[in-house]
Amino acid sequence: MTRFRRQLYLGLFALLAATAGALWLNAKYSTLANYAFLTGWALLAGMFILTIYNVRKKLPFLPLGKSETWLQIHIYLGFFTTLLFLIHLKFRLPHGWFEITLAWLFVLVSGSGMVGLFFSRVLPRRLATRGGEVIFEKIPAVRHAAKTAAEELALGKDAKSPVIAEFYAKRLAGFFSGPKHFWLHLAESRRAASALIAELEDLRRFAAEADREKIEKLAGLVRQKDGLDYHRALQLALKLWLFVHIPLTYGLMIFTLLHIVLVFGFSGGAR
Amino acid sequence: MSEQLPAPDFDAQNYARPNQNWICGRACDGNACRPGPDAKGRCRATAECKPILELKPGETKGRWKCTRTGGACEAGPLPDGSCCRPIPKCSPVPTLRWWRGRLTLAVIALSCAVLLVVLGNPPWRNHFISPGEISQPHSGSQFLALAATNHLNQGCGACHVAGNTGPHGMMHAALHANPGILDLKKLAAAHAATPTVIDESCLKCHTGRNVHQPSALPVSCAFCHLEHQGKMMAAPTDENCNFCHGDATKMAAAASAGNVPLPVVHHFADDHPQFRFLTDKLRDPDTLKFNHLLHLTGTTIPKLPGGEKLDCAFCHQPDAAGTFMKPVAFEKNCRVCHSLQFDPETPQLMLPHGNVDFISAYLRSLPKQYADLAAKENPADVNGFVTAKLAGLRTQFGSGEDLERRVFFSTATFGPEAQVGDLSGATRALFPGCAYCHEVKAAAAGSPQITHPVQTEHWLTQAKFNHAKHLNIACAQCHDAVHSKDTADILLPPRETCVTCHSPRGGVADTCAECHSYHKPLMAAR
Repeated sequence: MTRFRRQLYLGLFALLAATAGALWLNAKYSTLANYAFLTGWALLAGMFILTIYNVRKKLPFLPLGKSETWLQIHIYLGFFTTLLFLIHLKFRLPHGWFEITLAWLFVLVSGSGMVGLFFSRVLPRRLATRGGEVIFEKIPAVRHAAKTAAEELALGKDAKSPVIAEFYAKRLAGFFSGPKHFWLHLAESRRAASALIAELEDLRRFAAEADREKIEKLAGLVRQKDGLDYHRALQLALKLWLFVHIPLTYGLMIFTLLHIVLVFGFSGGAR
Repeated sequence: MSEQLPAPDFDAQNYARPNQNWICGRACDGNACRPGPDAKGRCRATAECKPILELKPGETKGRWKCTRTGGACEAGPLPDGSCCRPIPKCSPVPTLRWWRGRLTLAVIALSCAVLLVVLGNPPWRNHFISPGEISQPHSGSQFLALAATNHLNQGCGACHVAGNTGPHGMMHAALHANPGILDLKKLAAAHAATPTVIDESCLKCHTGRNVHQPSALPVSCAFCHLEHQGKMMAAPTDENCNFCHGDATKMAAAASAGNVPLPVVHHFADDHPQFRFLTDKLRDPDTLKFNHLLHLTGTTIPKLPGGEKLDCAFCHQPDAAGTFMKPVAFEKNCRVCHSLQFDPETPQLMLPHGNVDFISAYLRSLPKQYADLAAKENPADVNGFVTAKLAGLRTQFGSGEDLERRVFFSTATFGPEAQVGDLSGATRALFPGCAYCHEVKAAAAGSPQITHPVQTEHWLTQAKFNHAKHLNIACAQCHDAVHSKDTADILLPPRETCVTCHSPRGGVADTCAECHSYHKPLMAAR
């Protein structure tokens, strides 16, 4: 059994055990006077541990354990906290603007986390199956080099074919100008690039002998650029979910603090 | 630390700095400069080299020397010692990490701003923080007027101490809550129904709140009556009642405190005790003699004037609210058959009902009654008509005293009127005597005494019932009248009959609050 699988099974077992335990406790003690207070504090503790994972990443020099371990805890505790959230809500929909906003913030944070987990499990495998490795930050430079090469082929000093120049100006200039087809790449569709390659093939078939080699090189550059766009789209997706997850986490914590104040301020203390 | 060292093939020249906030503006062209932008996003490019000053022995000014990597340039340093080949500055580009940090700060600022604006504006605040719609009785202009009358604040402040105090007051109330914010032990141990500060607000309007047992535990209003759940305040749940009634210890303590001992009950369908009129074998104390079996199934019962068969609904009519049945009345429900025709030869004359003295007076004025009848029917020979009728009565009943005694005391077991119904079912019942239906006692003073019938309106006095909600059920399904010959029979169903529908299996609500009320027995319909 690999280390990854051992960790996975251990984590899943811990999550299932914690879930069963929480549901049993819920069934047994849900009639307690201040049950909502107790589940609320448990939920807050879970949210706090989840939040400080981001702090842990900012303090790599402190001996706080391996980041990998923290991530595992973050994932499984995230699922368990979602269950605590439902128990705290008594499996009912919230009412009132504030509570609905608070609930939506929690849903968005936990939902984005689950999306991120899904992406981090699926997208790297897809990336590994296509086009080798390219660092996200270097994609613009590589794309620029491809664009320069394509321009040199179509419009450079040695370019003498008006057909290729016209095709480049009409169809390829926009394609090479920047990243394209984000959603198509996420959906694993190669429709756009295939269409361009097909058009280049049509062009090649009727081009002069001297131009065919250039057209083939252009097709190669189109494939390279498409591969870069694919990498950019998937790597960007791996980063973009954090744009929802992290900012809203802080919003959620602010609303949660106010929730605590309101609960204790308006309940008369005991209820 | 070894893990943090760069890999052997680490290209420091082209390090992309993904963990920094800024990258070189020329990185997208593949020409990123080596030092990169500073932490604030400023380009740090200066020149291709930093000339050094060479001073030979004896020289005072010296000579600037190019230090460019890859060899000195042709022009060399400028006279002031600066490089002649400055590098044009770029516009550093923020990384995704920078954008994410800014977005996080924006969300934090927006959250704080929204909350401060909303909480600082009382109308918005109350609307925003309300955890749900307030029930109709606790909202609207009528409640505001009532709150003003009872010296309560308006808005949230009517119930909540911190309601109208703003952010500072909310914080103060939260910090002084009891149990406190972090008093987990006390929170966990708190009594589920312990009255709270909010109850004091409730009691300003709900004065004289009465509980159903004098020595019952003090219970918070909010324990059963949850607010902010919508326009209609939800009925208490079985869990609320089971807090005491499902707890043997509490019930034993209540019994020892002088309350009526009650068994532990959790759900109506499971362990609710049998109705007390059955367990105590109660009998209806009404002295009226009535035979349900005879009236519903007897072959001698005549048809009603409209030709219909006598049924339950003819006598038992719902009240205005449809909740209970109106008392059965002689004039409306009985006289149609029992017309009190004491003289079979003169059916036009009928005895009055309801007062012994009136009946006696009527009997003693029979010559006048016959004369009045003759004036209508045979005005030519009034005296002859009266004489003939009185003679017939004397022949049939003897003296006037005999007639009066028979009218009051006959039970149809003797005398010519033993047959009280008509076998053909076409005519009214003859009048045998008051004692046929009533308890008639011979008083010492001479005039008889008739015990006034008492119709018990409600047998289940601790429960609510609404006939209007049970109209789709036949009467006989609950009231076993066709097997009852005796007025003393209490024709209410046992618990099991109710459970047929009022149970999880029956699908009809079976909560305690369906029938019982905590504060006092409610006779009115819900």
